[in-house]
Amino acid sequence: MKKILAAALALTLTIGMTACGSAKQSGESDAEAVKANGKLVVGITDFAPMDYKDDAGNWIGFDADLATAFADSLGVEVEFVEIDWDNKVLELDSKSIDCVWNGMTLTDEVTSAMECTNAYCNNAQMVILPKDAAANYPDVESMKDLVFAVEAGSAGEEEVTALGYNCTPVKAQADALMEVAAGTSDAAVIDALMAAAMVGEGTGYDNLTYTVGLNEEKYGVGFRKGSDLAALANDFFKSAYEDGSMMAMAEKYGVSASVIAQ
Amino acid sequence: MSFSEQFPIVLGSLNVGFLQTLRLFAITLIGAIPLGLVISFGSMSRIKPLRYLVKGIVWVVRGTPLMIQLLIIYYFPGLVLKNAIWGSGEMGRFFASSVAFIINYACYFSEIYRGGIEGVSVGQREAGLVLGMTKSQIFFKVILLQMIKRIVPPMANEIITLVKDTSLARIIALQEIIWAGQSFLKGSQGISGVIWPLFFTAVYYLLFTGVLTLLFGKIEKKLSFFK
Repeated sequence: MKKILAAALALTLTIGMTACGSAKQSGESDAEAVKANGKLVVGITDFAPMDYKDDAGNWIGFDADLATAFADSLGVEVEFVEIDWDNKVLELDSKSIDCVWNGMTLTDEVTSAMECTNAYCNNAQMVILPKDAAANYPDVESMKDLVFAVEAGSAGEEEVTALGYNCTPVKAQADALMEVAAGTSDAAVIDALMAAAMVGEGTGYDNLTYTVGLNEEKYGVGFRKGSDLAALANDFFKSAYEDGSMMAMAEKYGVSASVIAQ
Repeated sequence: MSFSEQFPIVLGSLNVGFLQTLRLFAITLIGAIPLGLVISFGSMSRIKPLRYLVKGIVWVVRGTPLMIQLLIIYYFPGLVLKNAIWGSGEMGRFFASSVAFIINYACYFSEIYRGGIEGVSVGQREAGLVLGMTKSQIFFKVILLQMIKRIVPPMANEIITLVKDTSLARIIALQEIIWAGQSFLKGSQGISGVIWPLFFTAVYYLLFTGVLTLLFGKIEKKLSFFK
């Protein structure tokens, strides 16, 4: 009995430990797999106004509503799963989710690791400063001696690194804000949509403010590399934009100025 | 939103997260305490290949970070075996975390048990043999109780570490209490950019480990009857 148990334990572990290797394309259609499964599993993070919970605990937001409508168009249910944003490619490749639909900036890293849709929403990277220091830094040039807190792997980090400025990568955009609030970094760089929601009067960070935008960027939806769902999502964007339902959703969440014509 | 308005919302969310923490803690103990005993028998086995195999496993499990083990156990089936056995929802993440924690803690427990068993003097075993007891009788009637008495302090240590280690499961997005506390930094339920819930989670850990410390103190006292 002891022996059998130990052997079984050993076996499970060896399988787990030795099964190393890169993910390969399975060849079968992702759309078919999702339809057979009866649900589209959408990886998200809690990120107002794109994906967040209403008072009843249901996921709402511009992205959440779009994803629900897309799943409807495929004839399947939608399931939202909160993921760790750092592990989004792992989550996709291990098939624990089918797509990430969460205000994702289309960067070279993202488009090379995932099958991405066309851009559907505009965004920018904003510099966040303490309110009392903001006047001293009117433009990007004047900020060269500051230490920036940025989310590791984010578009903000890319921008600051490209400028050659000093930056500290932290776990999340929210942590970058905390760094500035705590004075451990001079400034932070986060998404404009998020900055609008989280910084300034009436928010938890009313002693911070956002000043200069570093770049223009676009949001897209990411599917597994090689997935045929991305093309279907593009078709969905086109029809939803043409029949006006996409703009109606955008107005509901106050992001209609950012929507990109399909 | 003022602090007094935030407090009940945050507390509700932290309670849900802490419940998940407690669930993971309980299921790890339920699984790892007996599994540890099996592993400790394996590492003391007279069959050489089995003994080396089990020792090798213990070496791997104790020698790699639990965080990596969580990532491997959750993502590898889907990535490499092309079969996402855990599923996508919160339940799948919980099962994967449970398996990782049970295996990891069973290996640590097994070494504590081994120490406890080998610490019982050979004379006791020999006395049992002279009285004509079988091996299992000797273990359950002579060794086990003395072993339990010896292992309470080191086990208490591991179990208190386990309470805090459960927070590692957030790496595979298990929504335990640290996750719940962190969510208010980014924004959740209308509260965003708020730092205190994350730090407040420490109170939960502190209270719970406090209760455990008292409990283990009581158990130790109860088991001090050989003195």
